[in-house]
Amino acid sequence: MNTPLAWKNLLHNKVRTAVALAGVAFAVILIFMQLGFKGAVRKTATQIYDALAYDLMLRSPEYLHLTDPGMFPEERLYQAASVPGVAAVRPFYLGLSEWQRPQPEDVLPGDYEGEWRGIICMGVDPYDPPFARKDLREVAATLTDPRFVAIDRKSKKDFGPKNGQRFSKEDIDVKTTLGGGRVQIVDTFELGTGLAANGACLVNKQGYFAACWWQAADRVNFGLVKLDDGVDPETARRDLQQLLGPTDDDLVEPQISATPADVEVLTKAEVIRREEFRWVEQTPLGKIFTFGVWVSMFVGVAIVYQVLSTDIANMMGEYATLKAMGYGNRYLTRVVLTQSVLLALIGYVPSLVVSWLLYRFVGAWSGMPMEMTPGIGALVLVLSLLMCVLSGLAALRKLFQADPADLF
Amino acid sequence: MAVTSPFPATSGMFADGAQLPKTVKVHGINHYFGEGELRTQALFDNFLEVRRGEIVIMTGPSGSGKTTLLTLIGTLRTVCEGSLLVLGNELNGASRDQVNRLRQELGFIFQAHNLFGSLTAYQNVNMACELVGMERKESDRRIRMLLERLGLGERIDYKPDSLSGGQKQRVAVARGLVHNPKIVLADEPTAALDKESGREVVTLFQEMATDHGCTVIMVTHDSRILDVADRIVKMEGGRIKTDSAVQETSVICEFLQQFPLFSSLTPTTLTEVADMMRVETAEQGDTIIRQHDPGELFYLIRTGSVDVLVDDGKQTRKVAQLKEGQYFGEAALIRDEPRNATIVAREHCVFYTLGKADFTRTLERAASFREEIQQALFSRS
Repeated sequence: MNTPLAWKNLLHNKVRTAVALAGVAFAVILIFMQLGFKGAVRKTATQIYDALAYDLMLRSPEYLHLTDPGMFPEERLYQAASVPGVAAVRPFYLGLSEWQRPQPEDVLPGDYEGEWRGIICMGVDPYDPPFARKDLREVAATLTDPRFVAIDRKSKKDFGPKNGQRFSKEDIDVKTTLGGGRVQIVDTFELGTGLAANGACLVNKQGYFAACWWQAADRVNFGLVKLDDGVDPETARRDLQQLLGPTDDDLVEPQISATPADVEVLTKAEVIRREEFRWVEQTPLGKIFTFGVWVSMFVGVAIVYQVLSTDIANMMGEYATLKAMGYGNRYLTRVVLTQSVLLALIGYVPSLVVSWLLYRFVGAWSGMPMEMTPGIGALVLVLSLLMCVLSGLAALRKLFQADPADLF
Repeated sequence: MAVTSPFPATSGMFADGAQLPKTVKVHGINHYFGEGELRTQALFDNFLEVRRGEIVIMTGPSGSGKTTLLTLIGTLRTVCEGSLLVLGNELNGASRDQVNRLRQELGFIFQAHNLFGSLTAYQNVNMACELVGMERKESDRRIRMLLERLGLGERIDYKPDSLSGGQKQRVAVARGLVHNPKIVLADEPTAALDKESGREVVTLFQEMATDHGCTVIMVTHDSRILDVADRIVKMEGGRIKTDSAVQETSVICEFLQQFPLFSSLTPTTLTEVADMMRVETAEQGDTIIRQHDPGELFYLIRTGSVDVLVDDGKQTRKVAQLKEGQYFGEAALIRDEPRNATIVAREHCVFYTLGKADFTRTLERAASFREEIQQALFSRS
């Protein structure tokens, strides 16, 4: 069939086509935003894990999420370090502590109580910090005293930056209270605060025990394992888990282990996957956006269906004539579906551009890491095609009712 | 035994000479609309056969079922009861695919033009070519030829929005004819057209019929184009009231006029009489009427020959032999007596018959007509 009827129909009624395209674009932009937010949640949830350098992670089986990680005995780290193929094992401490908003210098002692904020407190060894990023390692290296603290510039302004907006070099040397002890800001860094708190800070191991005074000194939150080059993480993970006491999942054969299964060994990929699953699937946060995607699709289907079915209703006689001429339902289906696919494709392009701008704008304004990835672009393209094809299929029912016998 | 046919004498079904193949055969078609309690019958036991290359005009008041019959022939409705053969395909119980294939050999011209607003006149017509897979060059030639013939040469690339009603209708006509359909089904194809373009449309129909053997069946009330009809079918109340092949009807009228009692009848009345005649066929040796039986029918021999036998009580004598164009059976009807002779077919015969009531009524009309003339002549002197 050479006559591009679907295309001609779209070109012919420009107003209706414009309305349809606006509808498609509206729905597609909504979908883009929802997926952008969801992507931001995912990225926010794992940004601290992403910044650490490790191939395998040791953590307590009681681990819930980043700021409620549980603890396990420190000697597991030394046990793990003895395994062939393991290059290094570093401890990493993380817990929620309390941060007092720094007091103005001219306030008399006792006059100002200060406001308290929950803050993520990370404890590292300043001489061997477990960060992947060089700037973070440099910041960590300055934490040579338990009273020294580095604060995340992404912490919200109610944590008390001097300029009232954002922590910066100006805040260096400011003194305040973290947990139970007095600390002094010695540097700032930029990492991101996750979803459970609005601020984050970095201290050394002793500083961490001061800030999170409830943690036993011989217990750690995370063990970060670096493997020698060429060692398969999954094999190493199984070996480590066997050594440290198999969990139920990894029990090769029933045995009475000398060590209780108080440590879980995970690959980096698994850590990220579980954390994303936790925030995106198990909490309402991710679900809201997933739901938002479906709602946007539904809106899009409704708009496109309305346009297509009006179009079909207006051309009922023409389509019935085609049927009388001997065109089968298959041809008519193709015309309508081609029309829907064209709407989806043409509506997608401007939506992609607009969404990309919106991502940058919303990201800059709210601080959420909104990122237009090829994955999101492709997913939305598929969804918008699906949306238009669905409405096309719904509109087809009307087309099948076109009865050439009514023409006489 | 003589057999009575469901077709009328005027249908030409039994005319001798080369019988062209039938493209449409309607046999005992009943049609119903609605379901259950609301079910109403729209067509009652219809018989119609249409030959290749024949132009059929269907007339009748609205609601007479002509459109229903047309849509049935056009495969646009499903056959309820009876047999309907179109181009040799039985439509009763035909599958979707069969129907779609068959539709490609039909050409439809609807009263509403139903052109795609998004396509030009050329592209609209081309939709019909593409479907049947006509070669590009050939379709281009035919589309341009048809549109030019229909006076749209200047407007080939116009969209329907910039065409007048009549022009749109002509584009629809071109679309119905472009793929050389074997049957054209048209609903008031000339209604929206002026005299000149209406004439051009029916001239095209005639060319298609004579050059390509295309059968044209159209519903029309346009008396300007009645002259192109080879057959005129009148419907009333869901029944085919008259089915007159123009050629055969004139043959019958000529035969009837030779019957002295009918000789004074006008052509109009003769046509009406012809329309009332039925068909009977008989094989060699069949007895058509028997002496002493009550007389019910008047017979006109269309083909074949018969022996007239009279039994005088002692023996049976052959008194005469009648052949094509001659008639018998009138004496018993005129005098209201039993048959005075036995008629036996000498070979395969076709008779056109007129019932007693119709015969008597016609005689009365002839008589009054004669009286009228006598009166007129009398009063003139």
